Amino acid sequence: MAAPSAAGLGRRLRAWLPRIMPVRWSRYNPSYLEPEVKKESHQKPLEELTEEQREQMELKAVRPIKAAPPSLSSSVFSDPMISKFTNMMMKSGNKVLARSLMSQTLEAIKRKQLEKYHKAPENEKETIECNPYVIFHQALKNCQPIIGLSNITKGGKTYQVPVPLTDNRKCFLAMKWLITECRENKHRRTLMPEKLSQELLLAFNNEGPVIKRKHVLHKMAEANRAYAHFRWW
Amino acid sequence: TLRLICTTTAVQRKNVGASGPEKYTEAFIKKQIEEFNLGKRHLANMMGEDPETFTQEDIDRAIAYLFPSGLFDKRARPLMKHPTEVFPEQRKIQWGEDGRPFHFLFYTGKQSYYSLMHETYEKFLNVQKHQDQLTTQDLPVQKEKRNLAGSRWLTKIELEEMLLEQVSDDDYSRFIQLLQKLVALPCADIEEKYIQKFSKELPVQLQKVVIEPLQHDERGVAFSTGEGKRKTARATAVVYDNGTGKITVNGIDILHYFPVLQDREQLLFPFQFLGRIGIHDMVCTVSGGGRSAQAGAIRLASAKALRSFVTEKEVEFMRQAGLLTVDPRVKERKKPGQEGSRRKFTWKKR
Repeated sequence: MAAPSAAGLGRRLRAWLPRIMPVRWSRYNPSYLEPEVKKESHQKPLEELTEEQREQMELKAVRPIKAAPPSLSSSVFSDPMISKFTNMMMKSGNKVLARSLMSQTLEAIKRKQLEKYHKAPENEKETIECNPYVIFHQALKNCQPIIGLSNITKGGKTYQVPVPLTDNRKCFLAMKWLITECRENKHRRTLMPEKLSQELLLAFNNEGPVIKRKHVLHKMAEANRAYAHFRWW
Repeated sequence: TLRLICTTTAVQRKNVGASGPEKYTEAFIKKQIEEFNLGKRHLANMMGEDPETFTQEDIDRAIAYLFPSGLFDKRARPLMKHPTEVFPEQRKIQWGEDGRPFHFLFYTGKQSYYSLMHETYEKFLNVQKHQDQLTTQDLPVQKEKRNLAGSRWLTKIELEEMLLEQVSDDDYSRFIQLLQKLVALPCADIEEKYIQKFSKELPVQLQKVVIEPLQHDERGVAFSTGEGKRKTARATAVVYDNGTGKITVNGIDILHYFPVLQDREQLLFPFQFLGRIGIHDMVCTVSGGGRSAQAGAIRLASAKALRSFVTEKEVEFMRQAGLLTVDPRVKERKKPGQEGSRRKFTWKKR
């Protein structure tokens, strides 16, 4: 029997029982696992890990691992949420422009917050958040909807049914709303970084059009509560 | 439709043995084996070697020498192998002279598969009975967890070869589910031998790659080389010890060669991951590809070169961070009838 090549060895067939034919495929063999880039996760001593993590580690020792993508790096400056947001802002593959816009946005946020900080009286200085990354993450969290609507056709009519959302979907919706808001509702002369920093600061304080849109969605879901039993998953 | 791009050789090999009823009689195969042995001795005599110690490799070399062929397809070239490798193993005729089949499950159509399922289920019931006996006697039930990470189940092709008949995907998945249920029971150690027939050892460590030792140049500075590629870019990197952290690409400093921050981040990624930023000096050459592909190629080359400077544990951490794998993603080809690789032509109603 011909020996299988190193790339094809060790295919755990639990992951590849071909019941449903996938249309999306990848150049990697299905047995390849995702890479873990953060330094701290590799330096943890054995006792701190739970059973599951120990099993994961053993599995990783035997299986091949995919190559880390170019947007991921172990430096402190690379953040997966920021990279995802940059990719969504990108048009026609112009990553250079998207990245520069993102860094200008973060700079603008920092400048505004520092202005506020220096103008504020002593006792309020501690409450003002100056770290643009923290502001970005908090703003995104505030914009994430809890429940979403989905179109279900029953008896010829299409209803908007309230449906729970996964974490990824929530993140994606928050980012999408921010970007569409900044692209459409701005004055012709304002640049993207300025408008984005405004929106992020408003979202951080739970104000602004994006938060309003989230509340509108929640109200619609509450109004269509009667159709919730249409959902079958 | 499933397009298997990432196929293994095991999947590509068709199982000829299960494809139909017997095509070669036993007498025919025996004759072929005799002729092969005789021919082997003649060949050894012709090449002037000892007929007793003439191995398969010697046969291949002799045939390649006596019948040189320029054909591209290796399977079309002259071949001399043992008949059991040439004529695949096939099922002998399943019924006797009076027409009655030997196996009681013959009329199901998949007799070996169903008999295998019956056997496995019998073992499953055995284990359950044993477990019940232990609980009635109030003895502790053993709960040693079998190490699942080190072994894999047989592939569908291997199972087909074992049973010598076609196994469908559904049947195969049912069989694997049954095996998993059997293994999940606490007292499954009794049937360990039976289970081992259907599982294969995975190589414990995927560190099959040999780490080269450090070389030293004329001034006594330790250095090591590495090669990397990404899409169409090919890069070679030479990492020197006792440096100040300068990185030169094709004779140009990285600040001038890679004006984009993302590429420079990628170059420094292996060094930052190991915490060795100011220690090493690097000189690389790169050609082909675009801006990001060249950066990725140099990253792989420098990670490979750094393996010689670092302990085995750190090499394993680098592998788990995805620094040492070649990125297989390339530009997808354009298909006929479509505008690009995925985009279809504009649909016009009329």
